Amino acid sequence: MKLYLYGIIDSSDQIKESIYGLEGVGVYNISFRDIGAVVSEISQPIQGVTEGAVLEHETVVEKLMANFTILPVRFQTIIDGRDNLLSMMQSYYKDFKDNLARLYNKLEFGIKVIWPADKVKENIIKALNEGEQRVLESDGSASKRFIKEKFEKYKIDKEFETKADKFIKVMDIFFSKFAAEKKLEKLKTRDLLLDAVYLVEKDKENDFREAFEHIKSADPNLKYLFSGPWPPYNFVVLLRKTGLLRDTEQADLFDKVTRCQTLVGADSI
Amino acid sequence: MIANGIVETDSAEEFIEEIEKSQDVLPKKINANPQTVEKGLAKLVLTLIELIRKLLEKQAMRRVEAGSLSDEQIENMGETLMKLESKMEELKQIFGLKDEELNLNLGPLGDLM
Repeated sequence: MKLYLYGIIDSSDQIKESIYGLEGVGVYNISFRDIGAVVSEISQPIQGVTEGAVLEHETVVEKLMANFTILPVRFQTIIDGRDNLLSMMQSYYKDFKDNLARLYNKLEFGIKVIWPADKVKENIIKALNEGEQRVLESDGSASKRFIKEKFEKYKIDKEFETKADKFIKVMDIFFSKFAAEKKLEKLKTRDLLLDAVYLVEKDKENDFREAFEHIKSADPNLKYLFSGPWPPYNFVVLLRKTGLLRDTEQADLFDKVTRCQTLVGADSI
Repeated sequence: MIANGIVETDSAEEFIEEIEKSQDVLPKKINANPQTVEKGLAKLVLTLIELIRKLLEKQAMRRVEAGSLSDEQIENMGETLMKLESKMEELKQIFGLKDEELNLNLGPLGDLM
């Protein structure tokens, strides 16, 4: 019998609430020592990633999140039978326990920021032209002209990065005050200035939201996307490198579910 | 069915576009078959060469910025980088590859192209 895995929780008790997962099948907890793996039985492989299936998965995880600390697993994680599941739990027990303790009472929030990259670049070029320092004089030879052009582009790109760093630093100062952990990615695209996830203690959720509102109102040229609370998809850290799962499977199991969040987001917008 | 996590933004379309762009930097699967395997391999090799070329170029720009190069060295460096760039253009044309096809997401370092 194949088991569809939703997450690992900090309880070995059965789930009291009736929760229905993929294919409308009820979910239950398979305990291992003092923790559990929440699963539902599945009769056939999932046919592709559909918004409906992702939402079914996410809804189960979020319902569990309301009552337990959960290590959410990646959408479409299927384990071949109870024995394999228990072996996996045994192999990763210490990692699971460490993560459950670290993530206890914490929620994940996502913040994305778009900046006007073209305008920023335009201003940089203008400023560089105004205060131009002649590092290179072009004497007309093709190779020197080539270097001069490259160097000008290099200076613009460097200043662009520096400006991005400054913006992010200021924003992060506000958010970090209320976050236990964070992961920031700068300029994933030229316009996507910041793609960040913050891990926030439940009792600091309102402070974190207020910090966001404060930042949001500070600069009308920036566009913001705030999402959450999510289960801590991006903060599960597995240290064990060997065991039942191969490294690639291990990475897959708890890989961040950006697509899942995107789809959930698209539905909620 | 709606999950509890919410997404708040005034610019949904723009964010969807940027997220898609950031996820589509590399193809999910390498399309290798007897007809395209040569192009596929060329793409992989040229991407790596392009990465090395860009690193060389960046290092050169740092040295220019530091002012540690003589006129002659700048001249030589310019000629070398120019030839490298033109050779890459030639190879891209031979294999029918465009700049954006040689992109590589270098994580925190950003995109190659």
